[in-house]
Amino acid sequence: MNQYWKYFLMLGCLGALVGIGFVSGPFVLYLATRIMILCIFALGYNLLLGRTGLLSFGHAAFFAIGAYGLAITSIHISAHPLLGILIGVTAAALLSLCIGFFCVRHTEIYFAMLTLAFGMMVFALIWNLRSITGGDDGLYGISRTAISLGIVNIPIRKDYQFYYFVLLFFVASVFLIHRIYSSPFGLALAGIRENHIRAEFAGLSVKAYRLGVFTVSGAFAGLAGSLSALLESNVAPFSAHWSHSAEPVLVSLIGGLQTFSGPLVGSIVFVALREVLQRFTYNWMFWFGVLLLAIIIGFRGGIVGSISDAFRKYSRP
Amino acid sequence: MGESLLDVRMLNKAFGSIVTARDLNFSLCRGVITSIIGPNGAGKSTLINVLTGLLAADSGEIWFQGREVTREPIHRRVKLGLGRSFQVVNVFGNLTLFENLAIPVLALNRRAKGMIRSIAHLKEVREDVEMVLTQVGLIDEAYMVARSLSHGDQRLLEVAIALAAKPRLLFLDEPTAGMNPVERSRILETIRELSQTGEVTFAIVEHDMDIVFSLSDRVIALHKGKIIGDGSPDQIKMNPQVREVYLGEEVA
Repeated sequence: MNQYWKYFLMLGCLGALVGIGFVSGPFVLYLATRIMILCIFALGYNLLLGRTGLLSFGHAAFFAIGAYGLAITSIHISAHPLLGILIGVTAAALLSLCIGFFCVRHTEIYFAMLTLAFGMMVFALIWNLRSITGGDDGLYGISRTAISLGIVNIPIRKDYQFYYFVLLFFVASVFLIHRIYSSPFGLALAGIRENHIRAEFAGLSVKAYRLGVFTVSGAFAGLAGSLSALLESNVAPFSAHWSHSAEPVLVSLIGGLQTFSGPLVGSIVFVALREVLQRFTYNWMFWFGVLLLAIIIGFRGGIVGSISDAFRKYSRP
Repeated sequence: MGESLLDVRMLNKAFGSIVTARDLNFSLCRGVITSIIGPNGAGKSTLINVLTGLLAADSGEIWFQGREVTREPIHRRVKLGLGRSFQVVNVFGNLTLFENLAIPVLALNRRAKGMIRSIAHLKEVREDVEMVLTQVGLIDEAYMVARSLSHGDQRLLEVAIALAAKPRLLFLDEPTAGMNPVERSRILETIRELSQTGEVTFAIVEHDMDIVFSLSDRVIALHKGKIIGDGSPDQIKMNPQVREVYLGEEVA
């Protein structure tokens, strides 16, 4: 029975998510969609930070490339959302492969600073290439046209329709990333995090694995960016700014770096806290910072990490 | 002497004015347990670091099983069969023993890149891991986290990680350091047993002369990056230069 509780919990969450689509108004649907998109961003990012031990400040660049990839495809080539997402994710994966090639040669602060530098370069390019990216105005008017699958057209224009569209990608991403965690690749990443010299002496090409996970997490950031562009119907250059890269870091820290579900819980807390505070106080950023600090300091190992530690301690015979 | 596994030719390594390997030439042969001895700073650990790829040689060549590996990265040398353990415990602390050993097994089988299939479903990996854990006597702790083991068991685990990559030549850097007598005799017994199978050849850096002389078939004595003695334990005991710079009163 014990081993099945996770599956029951997962089914319960999935049921709740499906239910939200049926019963909720536009604002709750919008918030839930944003949470799911942040979850995809943070889950992919935590493959790099929590699983491999590499802190990147450049993932906003991949998020933005995913968003701009979809927006440019939608405006200039085809408004088919799946094509836009495919191009957005591919562009993000390719960019993360190129940037990662230079970054994975270093670790710790050097890695973090290199990713920050590359991220800011991408931001500057997006800001300056006005004819392609719209400069500081960004790109707008991205339409959520129906998904044409030959004989059937699936509409995603209405909020609840788009919610289910994102839910589909969310479930697929959670499933895929969960598989990566329990796969040989996922174990190799954990080994590299624990002791990269030992990992090399165990026969792993540490740089190749770091590049692999950097690319995979960049692709998930691109997917989150593409979905975000569809949700907001526009994309702004600040989505590439380094401060946006801090979001998945905070989300992972809040939920728990060393846990699979940490970023999921972290995303809910992050978005919900921000939304609530914005309604109650003009100084919401200050209180948001105070609360985040309290959570990060109060829950060592994140919310999920702390709770599972406590659960383990009390359930020990 | 048996077939040569490792050939070192004119190997040099220095850190500024400190020379840790000076024109070294020697071979390590299959099935021969070789100990590398020398006073602190003689260049023993640096030699292992250069031979296994952790440090680059300044000049010279390293050949392993007839193939030059001087510029090969660490992981490629490991896949060719050149393994090592470290002076300080160096394991995957927060992973279970099973996971510690699954990493080299997967790397060797070229299955570590798989992203979809769960490790739990890879039967041959499980069998290989369990075999090595049984070999070193840690099978009952397979699902314990590595850092919760005793120091001696962590050292055994370290040897097990190296063994899981199926090395032909295994360098052990002070394998008994910090161990109690029971753990020490256990690890020495494991080395003897594995050596007798003929699959692994051991090269050991060790300070304890009782262990060196009882375990080794051959001893290489280093001093300031140079070989000052190379031969059987009895020959080394009688070597006046070795006695002077290192063994001193222990043999006298």
